[in-house]
Amino acid sequence: MKEKTEEMLSPAPHTVIDKSAELKQGIMVFVGLAVLTLIEYFLGVAQVSAATIVLLWLIALLKGGLVLFFFMHVLRVFRADGGH
Amino acid sequence: MSAQAVPVHSRDHAAAHGHSDYNRWAATMRLGLWLFFVSDAFVFGALLVTRFYLLGLHRPHLEQWLGLIVTSVLLVSSFFMNRAEVQISAGNRKGFLTNTLITMALGITFLVGVVGVEWQQAPFGPGDAAQGAVFYMMTGMHALHVLTGVIFLLIVYLKGRKGLYTAERHWGVEAAAIYWHFVDLVWVFFYPALYLIGTVIE
Repeated sequence: MKEKTEEMLSPAPHTVIDKSAELKQGIMVFVGLAVLTLIEYFLGVAQVSAATIVLLWLIALLKGGLVLFFFMHVLRVFRADGGH
Repeated sequence: MSAQAVPVHSRDHAAAHGHSDYNRWAATMRLGLWLFFVSDAFVFGALLVTRFYLLGLHRPHLEQWLGLIVTSVLLVSSFFMNRAEVQISAGNRKGFLTNTLITMALGITFLVGVVGVEWQQAPFGPGDAAQGAVFYMMTGMHALHVLTGVIFLLIVYLKGRKGLYTAERHWGVEAAAIYWHFVDLVWVFFYPALYLIGTVIE
């Protein structure tokens, strides 16, 4: 039984490559979100003009889009097989 | 009929068929979860509308540095949640468990930051005019979802320790991860609405 479980858990070589790309993508998205958060923080603190509000909303929408597409995998919902 | 008596190609076919059934089942569960998100989004959307209806282009007097810290903590937690999901789908159970634990710890840190620190430091209470009602309702509702997420992750972690998830079958992990990112998504809009947009109410 133990051998069976370990067999199921051992990844195939092509899977390792795919998952490595997914991990890198996760890092890139995280860095993007972190940079956008810092920008909105400084925009919010400075409150230069009324246009700041529009910029803050745009940044929030961009961040939301990144989370939806890359972290929540929203497109998987529309796949018939539902695979990864 | 014993398993050994079944020809190899038949067993492969059965396994593939079972995997296909599982994927279809997971797709149905995924659709259900997303329908829940849509209904939950109406709740958070209503809170967001209420905030701008009652406060307009003014915001509560809050500690900016604390807002940035709790936001960063939630953002980092989403990063580790993503890693946990990728690790289990790669068959790395140890990596999945470690990243899930880190996510839970960061979720608890976020709760302590908002409920334990921000709520104590805020110069107004829940009954102090519109800003009190708006701030405590928005952060309270969100914190409740974070707490639910931490409990969800704890269940997934304990099941993961028992080896109940595999690279091919881990819908529970995926559901917990999507839920956690949804909580992060809500904060993406709550953070500027509460901390950054408008002038401070004196």
